This record gives sequence, structure tokens and C-alpha cells, in this order.
Amino acid sequence: MGTSKSITRELRSWFRLPKSRREFLDRLTFVFLAVIAVIITLPFFAIVFEVVANGWILLNPAFILTNMVGFAEGGIRNAIVGSIELVAIASMVAIPLCVGAAIYTTEYAQRGRRRARRWVQELNKWVIRIVEFTADVLAGVPSIIFGAFGLIFFVAVFGRSLIAGALTLALMMIPTILRTTQESLRAVPLSLREASLALGATTWSTSWRVVLRAALAGIITGILLAIGRVIGETAPLLFTTGFNFDAPWGFLDAIASLPFTIYLYALQGHTEIIRLRAYSTAIVLIGIVFVVDVIAVWASKKVGLVVRAGGV
Amino acid sequence: MVEAKIQVNDLNAWYGDFHVLKSLNFEILPNTVTAIMGPSGCGKTTFIRILNRLCDMVPEFHHTGEILIDGQDVFGADIDVYELRKGIGFVFQKPNPFPMSIYDNVAYGPKTHGMKDINEIVQRSLEQSALWDEVGHRLDEPALKLSGGQQQRLCLARALAVNPGIILMDEPVAFLDPISAQKIEELIMTLKRDYTIVLVTHNVQQALRVSDSAAFLYLGELIEYGRTSLIAETPKDPRTEAFLTGRFG
Ligand SMILES: Nc1ncnc2c1ncn2[C@@H]1O[C@H](COP(=O)(O)OP(=O)(O)OP(=O)(O)O)[C@@H](O)[C@H]1O
Ligand SMILES: [Mg+2]
Repeated sequence: MGTSKSITRELRSWFRLPKSRREFLDRLTFVFLAVIAVIITLPFFAIVFEVVANGWILLNPAFILTNMVGFAEGGIRNAIVGSIELVAIASMVAIPLCVGAAIYTTEYAQRGRRRARRWVQELNKWVIRIVEFTADVLAGVPSIIFGAFGLIFFVAVFGRSLIAGALTLALMMIPTILRTTQESLRAVPLSLREASLALGATTWSTSWRVVLRAALAGIITGILLAIGRVIGETAPLLFTTGFNFDAPWGFLDAIASLPFTIYLYALQGHTEIIRLRAYSTAIVLIGIVFVVDVIAVWASKKVGLVVRAGGV
Repeated sequence: MVEAKIQVNDLNAWYGDFHVLKSLNFEILPNTVTAIMGPSGCGKTTFIRILNRLCDMVPEFHHTGEILIDGQDVFGADIDVYELRKGIGFVFQKPNPFPMSIYDNVAYGPKTHGMKDINEIVQRSLEQSALWDEVGHRLDEPALKLSGGQQQRLCLARALAVNPGIILMDEPVAFLDPISAQKIEELIMTLKRDYTIVLVTHNVQQALRVSDSAAFLYLGELIEYGRTSLIAETPKDPRTEAFLTGRFG
């Protein structure tokens, strides 16, 4: 076959001596870069291998579907459901706030305000600047600071609980969701807004029924990225959630979570079984993050489609 | 004597310091097609965007003078912008259907205004824009899958769905192939029976074919206005003649 012949030729050309100094340098660079590429991916595979090799032994349906009995027995259902509860409530708090703020900054404060007084326009400009600046600063705040903040403000009110942990996570989700939503809204062509306004629609209706809809895929991507980020965070939950061997839905109940469980196991990991349970829990967490990220990547491909199609 | 549908009285408009429309005076009769012509940048788009107050989108825009539609000043203090726009359809230069289904595109306006019998409205509008035969059996397909010409006719249907009395078109065929363009022209001529149409166009031949009256703008001034055939035969101003014969534009 021609292909096998060309492969042999290729191989032979690799193993013969370079003909010139330039060819030698060229090959050297190639090898050098290839090695760098491998080095970069190595940690990822090393971690996955380490975790899976150690943790797969305990992984079975019962491990996922039953609650913990003490730290060393039972499954980790309480941690899985707890993580989902925390992130779900955090999302329900963060999404409306961020989408609302993004619509205000991109749709209301900047456009169609010709009739507004000068000082109202100036005020709007400042509000936008402050919203964006604080969101950007928030993005750089270390997660342990969020934990401390949650302790001071939310735990003081609610005690160590589902709601205190969820609110702390919600704060961490704000920068990602706000900025990606803003970007998605701004990517919606002006011509779509004008088409809606020209039909006699209000800015409200235009924002909700046309702009938001055209930007939906991008917004969902942002939300998923934020979820993927906070679902693995331990520090914000450290002082805010407490721990629970069950997964109740009471807002004021203490709640378990996957990262916190791994943290606790790592702290007390003197016995073999605790060590293995830590690995198995890590597999579950990595699996969830992986699925969320895959969906995010898939959704972001759709973003490109919508924006391109709407851009005419 | 027929009442003017649109009456422009000493209209001046600025973007910041830039004087874009200068003392326009003319009137447009109902059930006619009026072509607005002139070289690029002379203010054609600006003019029709004032008629439905889309000019509000530009913060630096300001004006003097008045535009009366059915006797009501579009800038009047008591005017309801949403009602005004509902009464004026707008077809943009580039087809800009919403990223939704064909049906939802046409239904958007009627739903916004709480109109009844949406299904009938959708069918009627698509028939009026000669699109029903092509898309009637696949209304739930995304509008963005249609060809450029179909998209533009969909945009026309979307505008017709809220029962406007006036249709404004900003170079509606600029981005279309000749056959699609011809379809739109035919539509303009049939729609004239029920609507007052203002058509911005660069294309002199097109203006001659479809319009009853023509306005020629030059650097924001109305140089010539009257029956299209008269202007074409005996332009009063040398600049109009230059434009008509294609020496600039
Ligand atoms: N939003 C705006 N802000 C400032 N100046 C503007 C704005 N829109 C248009 N102009 C200016 O106003 C003038 C008239 O623009 P307009 O779009 O009305 O021209 P036009 O006759 O439609 O041109 P074309 O045939 O190229 O579409 C141009 O010089 C343009 O640069
Ligand atoms: Mg124009």
C-alpha cells in the first residue's frame, strides 16, 4: 500500500543523518517543542492515573448511592448530593443577579437613553464602571478570603449551613457569569435590537425576547464554566457548611460536599481505607467537573454558530 | 386634495455638531412609493430613521422642525413611541431576521402588542410578502436557514404583521441577487395599494421602475422633489442630473 510505503520513507528520513546544519537545527527544535508539549500534558495524565489507579477499587454503585456511615464506611451520596445542592442554590442566586446586572449594563445604561438627563447618563456610566471593576477584582480574590467572608457574614446569620455555603459559592460565581454574559450580550448584533425596537417593542421585551435569546448559548457556557470552577472549591466551604452524614435539603442544615470530604479524608488519612476513599471521592469529583466542562465546550461551539448567523 | 400621510416641516438634524439634514420641506401622499435618492452619506438613512424615531438610539442626535404623520408630530411630547413604531414597518439594508423559527419571527410583533389570531396573521403576512408558498410547510425551521432573499422577504413579513400604515425600506435589495431584488420590487408595487412606502435607494433604474415620487438629497439638502418621471426627464438641478446619469453616487 502507498501509505505504508510513505510511512517507511518518512521513518527512514527521520533516522538518516541530517544533511545540513539547518536541517539539524530544524529537527532539534521539533524534538525540543514536542518534549515541552509532553511535559505540559504530563501532570494531567499523572493525576488522573494516580487517582484512578488508587480509587477504582472502591468505586461501585453502592459507593455513589448510599450515605456515609462514620467516615470510613458507607458511600459518599451525602457529599455528591450536598455538592449538587450547594452549586444549584449558588447558581439560582448568582444567575439572576448577574444576568440582570449584565442586561442593565449592556442594554439599558448605554443605549436609547437620549431623553435621559446628562447627570443620569453620567451616573449610569459610573455604575457600569463600578460593577465591572468590582467583578474583575472579585475574580482575583483568593478563595480562602471568600471562605472568611462567608464565615463573617453568612455564618453569623445562618450558622454553618447549606445556605451559608451556597451564598459564599454564589459570590465566587459572580465574576465569571457576569463577564461572559456581558460579552455574549455585546456580541449580539445591534441590527437585531433595532429590528425589535422598530416593531414597537420595548427595551425590556427586546432584551428578554431577542437579545437574551440570541446570547443564550454564550450565557450557558459562562454559567457552566462558573459551576465547573466552584464545584471543586474547598476553601469557601471550609468555614461555612459544617459536615453532615446525610444530605438534607434544609437551608439551615449543615451539609457535606465532595471537595470538603476529600479534604477531611486527607487530614485523617492514616489508614489505608480512608486513603482509598479519598481517591474514589476524587474520581467522582473529577468526573463531574469533566462532564460539566465538556458540556461547556459543546455549548460554546454553539455560541459561535449563533453569533455568526446573527451577524449576517 | 388628498391629505399628506407624512408632512416634513423645516426639518434640521444634527449628530453632535454635524449638520446632517438641512431644512427639509416636503410631503408624502398616502398609497404612494417615494424614492429617497442621493449619494452616500447624504442623510437618507438618517431621514427614515427619524420617521420611526430609531434616531433615539444615537445619544448625540438632535433636531429642529417637525415631522407630521397623519397630522401628529413624531417628536410630540404626548406621542407614544411604541405605538408610532407599530404603525411604521421598517426593512433594513441587511436582512436581520431574529435567530428564531420562521413562525416566531413573524409572530414576534403581534405577540408584543397582544394581538389575537396570531396564526392567521403569520399566514397573511407571509402571503403578502410572497413567501408562504416557499415556507408555509416549514414554519418551525430556523429563519437563518433561509436564503438572503427569503430572509429579506421574511423581514418584510415581520414588519407587515403588526398592520403598519407606512413601510420604510433602507436599500432593501442592496445585498440581494438580481432575481431576489426583482421579487422585492414586485412586492413594493403590489403593497403600494395598501401602504405608504418610503424607499431609500441608490439605484436610479429601480427608483424609476417602482416609485411615484422621488426626493433627491445632496449633503443633507433636498435638492429636488417631485414626480419620479418628471425628475428623470427634466431634472431642474445640475447635481440631480449628474447623479441620474451616474456621474457620482
Ligand atoms: N450615529 C451617527 N453618529 C454620527 N454621525 C453619523 C451617525 N450616523 C450617520 N452619521 C453621519 O451622518 C451622515 C449621513 O449618514 P446616513 O447614514 O444618513 O447616510 P446615507 O445617505 O444613508 O448613506 P449611505 O447611502 O451610505 O447609506 C454621514 O456623514 C454619516 O457619517
Ligand atoms: Mg444608508
